[in-house]
Amino acid sequence: MIAAVERSPERDAALAAALAHVPFDGWTMAALRHGLRDLDAEPLDAELLFPGGAAGLIEAFADRIDREMEAAAAALDLPALRVPARVRALVALRLRLLAPHKEAVRRALALPGRAPAATRALARTVDAIWHAAGDASADFSWYTKRAILAGVYGATLLFWLNDHGEDDAATLAFLDRRLAGVAGIGRLRRRCGEMLARVRPAAAA
Amino acid sequence: MTQQRLPGDRSPAADVARMIRVDHAGEYGAKRIYQGQLAVLGRTDKAETIRHMQAQEQVHLDSFAAMIARRRVRPTALLPLWHIAGFALGAATAALGSRAAMACTVAVEEAIDEHYRAQTARLGEEEAALRDTIETFRAEELEHRDIGLANEAELAPAYRLLSAAIKAGCRIAIAASERV
Repeated sequence: MIAAVERSPERDAALAAALAHVPFDGWTMAALRHGLRDLDAEPLDAELLFPGGAAGLIEAFADRIDREMEAAAAALDLPALRVPARVRALVALRLRLLAPHKEAVRRALALPGRAPAATRALARTVDAIWHAAGDASADFSWYTKRAILAGVYGATLLFWLNDHGEDDAATLAFLDRRLAGVAGIGRLRRRCGEMLARVRPAAAA
Repeated sequence: MTQQRLPGDRSPAADVARMIRVDHAGEYGAKRIYQGQLAVLGRTDKAETIRHMQAQEQVHLDSFAAMIARRRVRPTALLPLWHIAGFALGAATAALGSRAAMACTVAVEEAIDEHYRAQTARLGEEEAALRDTIETFRAEELEHRDIGLANEAELAPAYRLLSAAIKAGCRIAIAASERV
């Protein structure tokens, strides 16, 4: 996977404190320094803790939500579900975890300069979702699965930002429509495989 | 790691991820080479020998595939290329005759032996299980080389040229699969 995000208790504490300021200051080192002051820590440590600057802060935030999602996924009894239902449950879980930080997510996606960090975070997130869903592919479908889920999850996240309902019902309905759409890819693939097998029986092996 | 690490070097985890990625790609390619050989030599007296070697490569491949899933290593994006290139190499050498096919096996397995030897030297005690697995597989790859030599690999046409070309190709494939 893309280089892992550094994990340490100091970074986690600084990130948690900075999050309170992000809705006002945006994803900036100023927000991080305010957070460090709240913790009675040295504000000049900001650059030491996050050498990647604000982009590194965003990646650390996405990574923390990924970790929380993986920890909470253990309680979901995912093996009992079929794979698309597992993915749906994990995306819904992740949106619930993001709910307290909706403004921060909006701010993270607001500036085009954040695109590289957002892309790396998205790649790690879809990898975390597939891993939590028990995917064990080691062939090229490793890439196609992640690419498809990145499209579905990215679109769902953007829809969710403008979903002002009390529960995420509209967003989950949107997610279901996206998942139903990509289920067609699998059906098409199977049908092509069957057709190929009819033409050339050896190819089925 | 047994060697001294310097600041800015890859982390041990990233290093192991690279090893698993390239080994998985290598075993996949090896399986495809034997499949390519079988497509040509499937009805000759060499078929049983090649099938035996292919079965062992499949075990190696499954083992690395399990590691990819468990350790969350990204498989190489070049798998579709090795799918075609491996089969083509196997089929092309087999078309030159069974001796050339065996020469191909010898060259590939020698390159892999060299590659596995370099890997086990870099793995320390904290990755002892992985090191032992690679060591076991290396012994089997050497067995394949000996099978190739016993089947008159060295009597193949232009043996030296063929062998050098295939080994160079293997080294390029290894370098590419570690990174991409």
